Amino acid sequence: MKMVVSWTIIIVLMYTAQTSLFTFVDYGGVSVNLMLLLMVSVAFIHGWQPGVGMGFITGMLQDLTTGGYFGCATFSYMVIGFLFGKFSVHVFKDQFFFPVLSAPLAACLHFFITLILIFLIGYRINFVYAVQTNLIPFVCFQLFLAWPVHKLVYDFDKFAKRHG
Amino acid sequence: MSDLIRKKTKSKKKIAALIFLFIVVFCSVFFAARGTFNPGPADKTAMAILSPFQRGFSWVGSQLTFLKDSVIEIKNFHSQNKLLREEVELLRAQNLTASEFASENQRLRALLGYKQVATQFDLVAASVIGREADTWSSVIVINRGTLDGVADNMAVVTEMGLVGHISEAGLNSSKVQLILDPRSSVGTLIQRPESRVAGIVEGSINNPHQPRMVNIPKNSDVQVEDMVVTSGFGGVYPKGIVVGKIKEIHNDEGGLLKYGIMETSVNFDKLEDVAVIVASREAPPEPLQPPPQVPGTETDPYETAQKIQEAQMIQQQAQEQVQQAQQQQIQQAQQQAQQLQQNSAGGVAP
Repeated sequence: MKMVVSWTIIIVLMYTAQTSLFTFVDYGGVSVNLMLLLMVSVAFIHGWQPGVGMGFITGMLQDLTTGGYFGCATFSYMVIGFLFGKFSVHVFKDQFFFPVLSAPLAACLHFFITLILIFLIGYRINFVYAVQTNLIPFVCFQLFLAWPVHKLVYDFDKFAKRHG
Repeated sequence: MSDLIRKKTKSKKKIAALIFLFIVVFCSVFFAARGTFNPGPADKTAMAILSPFQRGFSWVGSQLTFLKDSVIEIKNFHSQNKLLREEVELLRAQNLTASEFASENQRLRALLGYKQVATQFDLVAASVIGREADTWSSVIVINRGTLDGVADNMAVVTEMGLVGHISEAGLNSSKVQLILDPRSSVGTLIQRPESRVAGIVEGSINNPHQPRMVNIPKNSDVQVEDMVVTSGFGGVYPKGIVVGKIKEIHNDEGGLLKYGIMETSVNFDKLEDVAVIVASREAPPEPLQPPPQVPGTETDPYETAQKIQEAQMIQQQAQEQVQQAQQQQIQQAQQQAQQLQQNSAGGVAP
């Protein structure tokens, strides 16, 4: 129960920070996606099942509150959580390099999954323009904040294990 | 063995649930896009839960942004100050230019006003583009020449009065000899109707700013503060242009004449725009104006006409009465003359 409450608080705080605080630090309207970083870190530390679960929760939260196309973020986060969770068996938990490096990769994946979904819905998007104006600044932001977020999740996991 | 089978079954269930979840979410994307799927009150609930946090974070964000902006402002203070200084310099320069334009506008307006008033003259506006450095002679250069219709010996004026005449007309510029020049002589007269004394205004080499009106008879009626205008004699300067006014009157050395030291109406130190009189004609008479009426004694035109009519009738009646009386007198005289003739024919003494 304590774990659920703690994770809920973390998710809510990080999500509100993402949607209100970090919007002040944007580049052409693009800012950091803490939910994606959180989900990737959880997937790396806990495996694919919590990864998918976290992807579902954070994605649904985003879709319900600020998401443009309902289900896009949820589906994308779940796929990414699954993939990175599956990959986590090859990475040591104390290893920070891959989780941090995977942040821009997750950003690219999220970007492309969203593009494909939007394309399937029936919209046409200028791919080059979208890469220039959305993906590149998005990747930079994600790379910049990947380490602090992963460190936070890692420390919280250790703290939770230590205190039962 | 049974544990392994249970684990495998559990894992299969999880994978099935996962696949189901994926399919549901994937389908919900398209249903939601078509509007056939609505998350219901879930989004409103989530937003209601998150909004206080968002508000708090937003406030922190705005404060941080304000702090960041303040730091950036302080950082940019020096460069901004430098830019502002440059801008101030630029604006000062622009202000000077604007003042210059305003001054020129004012002068040209005055000149235009004079041009509209002096209908007897055809004027060509000109700007002073050159001036002699010394005061031995007073010549200026204007930016109008023969191409603009300017010729030698044309009078040059401003709205204030006479400036001089064209001493040398070039193609697109001309030299103007000012009335201050010692070589200049202008036929003038005193404007005051009781005086109308003629004289010649010439420049003084000793006092280049105050020309003299010379050749004034000693017993003539010339007073200080009399206005001096051109007389039109000599053919160079049209009649009636203001030259200046008498400031001092002195006796000439010869004893028979006197001269007046004048203050010119034109300020030659601030001469920038002038007008050349390229043609002049007789000034048209001023239109007759009704005499000013004292308030309370205004005449009613209808009443006046009626009175005139009555007076004319009375006059006509009087004339008729006079004529009748005259006829009666003539008849009486004729009758008396006939009686006298009759009496003389009958031998009766009167």
